[in-house]
Amino acid sequence: MSSSENNLVIKNLSKCFNVNNEEVMVLQNINLDIREGEFISIVGHSGCGKSTLLKIIAGLVDFDVGLVTLGGQELKKPGKERGMVFQEHRLLPWLTVKDNVSFGLYNLSKAEKEKIIADHIDLVGLKGFENAYPHQLSGGMAQRAAIARSLANRPKVLLLDEPFGALDALTRIQMQKEILKIWEKEKTTMILVTHDIDEAIYLGDRIIVMSSRPGTIKEIIPVQLSRPRDRSSHDFGTIRKKIFTEFFKEEETLLEYYL
Amino acid sequence: MDTQPSKAKKKFLRKSETINNKNPSSSFKFWDNIFSYGLLPILIIVLWETATRLNITPAAILPPIEAVYTAFINQINNGEMIADVTVSLTRVLKGYSYAVVLGLSFGSLMGISLRANKIFSSVFNGIRQIPPLAWIPLIILWFGIGEVSKVVIIAKGAFFPILLNTINGIKNTPKGYLEVAELHNISKLDLFRKVYFPSSLPSVFVGLRLGLGVAWAMVVAAEIIASSSGLGYRINDSRALMQSDVMIANMIVIGFIGSIMDLIIRNLAKHFSKWQVS
Repeated sequence: MSSSENNLVIKNLSKCFNVNNEEVMVLQNINLDIREGEFISIVGHSGCGKSTLLKIIAGLVDFDVGLVTLGGQELKKPGKERGMVFQEHRLLPWLTVKDNVSFGLYNLSKAEKEKIIADHIDLVGLKGFENAYPHQLSGGMAQRAAIARSLANRPKVLLLDEPFGALDALTRIQMQKEILKIWEKEKTTMILVTHDIDEAIYLGDRIIVMSSRPGTIKEIIPVQLSRPRDRSSHDFGTIRKKIFTEFFKEEETLLEYYL
Repeated sequence: MDTQPSKAKKKFLRKSETINNKNPSSSFKFWDNIFSYGLLPILIIVLWETATRLNITPAAILPPIEAVYTAFINQINNGEMIADVTVSLTRVLKGYSYAVVLGLSFGSLMGISLRANKIFSSVFNGIRQIPPLAWIPLIILWFGIGEVSKVVIIAKGAFFPILLNTINGIKNTPKGYLEVAELHNISKLDLFRKVYFPSSLPSVFVGLRLGLGVAWAMVVAAEIIASSSGLGYRINDSRALMQSDVMIANMIVIGFIGSIMDLIIRNLAKHFSKWQVS
């Protein structure tokens, strides 16, 4: 039984942007209750506000209406309990992998720092590359280093904004498996934004389907398949079809089918 | 019949080697570079020699290359060259150092803080719009004709390229890195040390090189107007004495020293930009 101690709760969240003196509503009335240790996928068209939602949770963007709490604590500014990974790896090119991973580590003894760095580099499978520079790494490796950096402070929630979007299709599938491994080991709450429906189903415990302009939650689809999931299984296909119809508005009655 | 292909034919063969050969050998590249880089300088020397040998121009206006060389040796022998170089170089280094410290400090401050930028930019822009040469009479009036006024003139001139390029470099720090820094709540010192400053280095070095060029220009101007020593003074003095050979010799020395200093900065820039994928 997971405790409600570190649940991420979003209530009535709304956010407007001022574009050319016009108020554009980017997010409208978002309500979410994410349990500790869950893996949530968010799918939606580009521009539906899903990245903005992540940034609001991370504390990088402020909002107009609503409440965001983690374990009862209100979240306003960035903090150690939330980490984020972006589509670009955003590793500082003048720092080695080691120094990039330890970027946000403060108030620790040298020995403690070294151990955390070594643990996390090992966690993402980059052992041996501690002293490499980002330009010497492949796209997948650089993104792994970025993940290690985001996890170094042991955040309770990890936000991933289309983290594998810049990688080629094969590397993407490899990284999806990796992130599952990391999730199973660290048990961090994961919130992943993607426009890849297969990725959302493969990874998420629940899939949040968002509509755009304004961004609202259209539907929340639970994925109760056991892991590792088979992308070509019948159940996988059923969910895929369900999400498809959410986006492409085919009028059809679907049989709700749970394993 | 032909024992050796003529020089022209050799050049043609090498040219065709570039057209057809996608991977020229390094020795070929070496000779190709010598040919390419050397073509114009050799041409200039040939034209110079021809003009003086055929007496196209009077010796007072265009001295023969030999005369310039002789003047150079004479200046070294009578001690003036070393003294002039020392005096001018000292002034440049002093003024340039002030410009670097002030330029980097204000540049960083104004690049990071919008408020600081607003506070200082109007005054700096105003000063900058008045050409450095127009400032010289006022600076001499205020600081006299001694060393101080020269250093001020040089510092003022070199300050602005360094300032502007530093501001530009810092402002162009990718927002993505700033977001990551915000996310990790890093200290203000680390924000500057690890994000703003390294990101700005390529622009900073451009500013440093431009500033050095201005510093040299300013020292010559300052010495022509109000000095009794230094390379600039010597150039002006030899003009009065119709010694164009001494003049040109000093000009070449200035160009040479400037090139070396520029090369040092370029190599420093390369060393600090190793992380850039070019």
